[in-house]
Amino acid sequence: MVNTALPTLAPGSSRSRGAGVRRRTGTAYLFLAPFLILFTIFVIAPAVFGLWISLHLWNPLIPSQPFVGLRNYIQLFTPGSLTSGDFWQSMQNTGIFTIGSVPLLVIIPLVIAALLNNKIRGGSVFRAIFFAPYVLGVAVIGVIWKYLLDPQLGVLNHVLGALGLPSDIPWTVDVPWAWFTLIGVTVWWTLGFNTVIILAGLKGISPDLYDAASVDGAGTMRKFFSVTLPGLRPVMMFVTTVTILASANMFGQSYLITRGGPGHATRTAIQYIADEGLSQNQMGAASAMSYVLFAFLAVISIINFRLQRERN
Amino acid sequence: MRRISIRRGLLAGAALGVGILLAACSGGTGGNAGTVSGGKYTGPAVTISFWNGWTGGAAPVLVPKLIAQFNKEHKNIVVKDVPIEWGNIAAKMPLAIKAGKGPDVAVLHGDDIATYAAQGLLLKSDAIVKSLGYADADFPTGLLKAGNYQGSQYAIPWSVTPLGLYINKDVLKKAGLDENAVPTDQASYVKALDALKAKGVQGEWVDGFVFTGTFEFESLVWQFGGQLYNSDVSKATFNSDAGVKALTWMSDLVKKGYSPAKVAQDGNINALIGGKTAFNWNGVWQTTNDAFSKVSWTAAPVPQIGTQKAVWSSSTHWVFPANKGQDPNKTKASATFVQWMNDHSLDWASTGELPAQNSVRNDASLLTKYPNLKTFLGELDYAHYETVSPGIANANATITTAVNEAVLGKKSPKQALDDAVAQANQLLDQNKAQYGG
Repeated sequence: MVNTALPTLAPGSSRSRGAGVRRRTGTAYLFLAPFLILFTIFVIAPAVFGLWISLHLWNPLIPSQPFVGLRNYIQLFTPGSLTSGDFWQSMQNTGIFTIGSVPLLVIIPLVIAALLNNKIRGGSVFRAIFFAPYVLGVAVIGVIWKYLLDPQLGVLNHVLGALGLPSDIPWTVDVPWAWFTLIGVTVWWTLGFNTVIILAGLKGISPDLYDAASVDGAGTMRKFFSVTLPGLRPVMMFVTTVTILASANMFGQSYLITRGGPGHATRTAIQYIADEGLSQNQMGAASAMSYVLFAFLAVISIINFRLQRERN
Repeated sequence: MRRISIRRGLLAGAALGVGILLAACSGGTGGNAGTVSGGKYTGPAVTISFWNGWTGGAAPVLVPKLIAQFNKEHKNIVVKDVPIEWGNIAAKMPLAIKAGKGPDVAVLHGDDIATYAAQGLLLKSDAIVKSLGYADADFPTGLLKAGNYQGSQYAIPWSVTPLGLYINKDVLKKAGLDENAVPTDQASYVKALDALKAKGVQGEWVDGFVFTGTFEFESLVWQFGGQLYNSDVSKATFNSDAGVKALTWMSDLVKKGYSPAKVAQDGNINALIGGKTAFNWNGVWQTTNDAFSKVSWTAAPVPQIGTQKAVWSSSTHWVFPANKGQDPNKTKASATFVQWMNDHSLDWASTGELPAQNSVRNDASLLTKYPNLKTFLGELDYAHYETVSPGIANANATITTAVNEAVLGKKSPKQALDDAVAQANQLLDQNKAQYGG
């Protein structure tokens, strides 16, 4: 993940080309081989197989899997077909969630990391506290928050009522509140991970730069924007990319907390794909949807790389 | 990143696993292997494997005990108990049967039988049923038929789980109602709801989820004289007048203030246990809910809101998988096992399900041991079971969507049902195209 996200070094034009380089490359490939084999078996091969499946009416439970060409894809782009309405609604839901969660999951950890990076008493305790929710599985956080946010019986609405605020907000049952819930829970749950990565990035910025900035008369804010942020650029790009992908792959939270409801208003793309493929056994259509989702994410990732690429 | 990479790994692994399995069984058996008759097993010693989804509740203690007893009493049969979570059974069993590695006997939910049968995964068991001496009259009305697909019997009933009306008696008492007066029809039910409302209690919290809003809706459709699907399950019919009446009744509970507007799943049963509401339509399985020990409660038959008595019930059934190269002796031994289990199913009631065999339910000691079940036994005279049609789960899911949208006020009952039926009909066409029938 890190390797693919970080910008690769420019080819060594200053270095001498020749046998030495080639031998070194060969050694590198040798060391990469074990991973490459696993990568091929567990990522590339299933991905190619998935493409093959997407060209069939592939129900694993029936004896034959007829080839249907691009029909599964065409149906996705034909309004009124069995899958297109549900699929694009789920894509839109995934979009809402991603747009709502990614900025928070980048900015809040950045601020927390910057604060934790100061030499404060009990810094590691706070770091542990912020990271703690991430240790829990999605099933655990899903069940916990479903109870806390229950519209009639939950703690949150009870507290709101005690404070004289509306106490009947349908946090888990109706939109838009369900989106606040899903985004809030996800931010609470995963911000610790991004915080730790960014914190590691902060530790990697040379203190000399801050000293130099101080000598030049820069204040705290100026140092943050002129030293910290540029120093974090590769780390931030990694964090942003990974967070976008994670948010676009959101499944467990909506599956457990809102059940995709009301109606299908919070059913995400992954949730719909899983239902179509694994519950309804329409593997062909589900694979086609996966590839459409993949295409979207690939384009977004490329744009993201372009935007954040270091300017020479 | 850890989260992502693990998920990726799982997905990739799953995809690969499925791929290998598919490749392995692409040449599997398509049609049915022959039929096998049951009866008392007298053949050579066999070991049979028995798959079931009984991984929780009282079953993991009860079932091994029963099986040990069976194995002791039958010198030539050894039953191997293989409990697997229901979800995993659905994922593994079809492929295992095609590869000849499935169980010799298994328990399935009623709505899965046709899906398996249509794929040729189950043995036709008409002969077994006959040799075991089973007839319609040995089970609740219509239950044996719920294991029949296209004229052939594929299953033998094991248990039923009807819906009932759970009542918090303290809440009734506090509202000044007779705690022992159980509402039985629309008039008495509305009267009780009105009395509760006057005291500031919302009497029935209606939810829009499978558990249990969908079950309530389906009960009401039948009560108003409707059907979910037409007789050959080629068209969905739950948007009929009866369906609209049923869903209007439910959404009116909210509109008329008998229910809060946005109830989460299980919010209603939790509210009943917590003393915030008086009535909840829920399954017989709730009788084993430990939280009830602190509540003064009772269960009654669901009130008759519509024009006739009807109640939703699910069921589980024994099936005999048509493994590639299935040993007929093992199937015969399985039949002996099935009959023995049904005859010894009285304590199955401890799992919150009703034994299907009439003679067991009519045994007086059942109610002595499990008095809470009394209500539910009487309901079986007019219970409706799951629709028998391959792949029906996807069409059933549209019902829940409609109930959810209407109860939450997103669509009118009629609109929600019409939309769901349009979707369901497309899914039924797809099922027909894929599974035949």
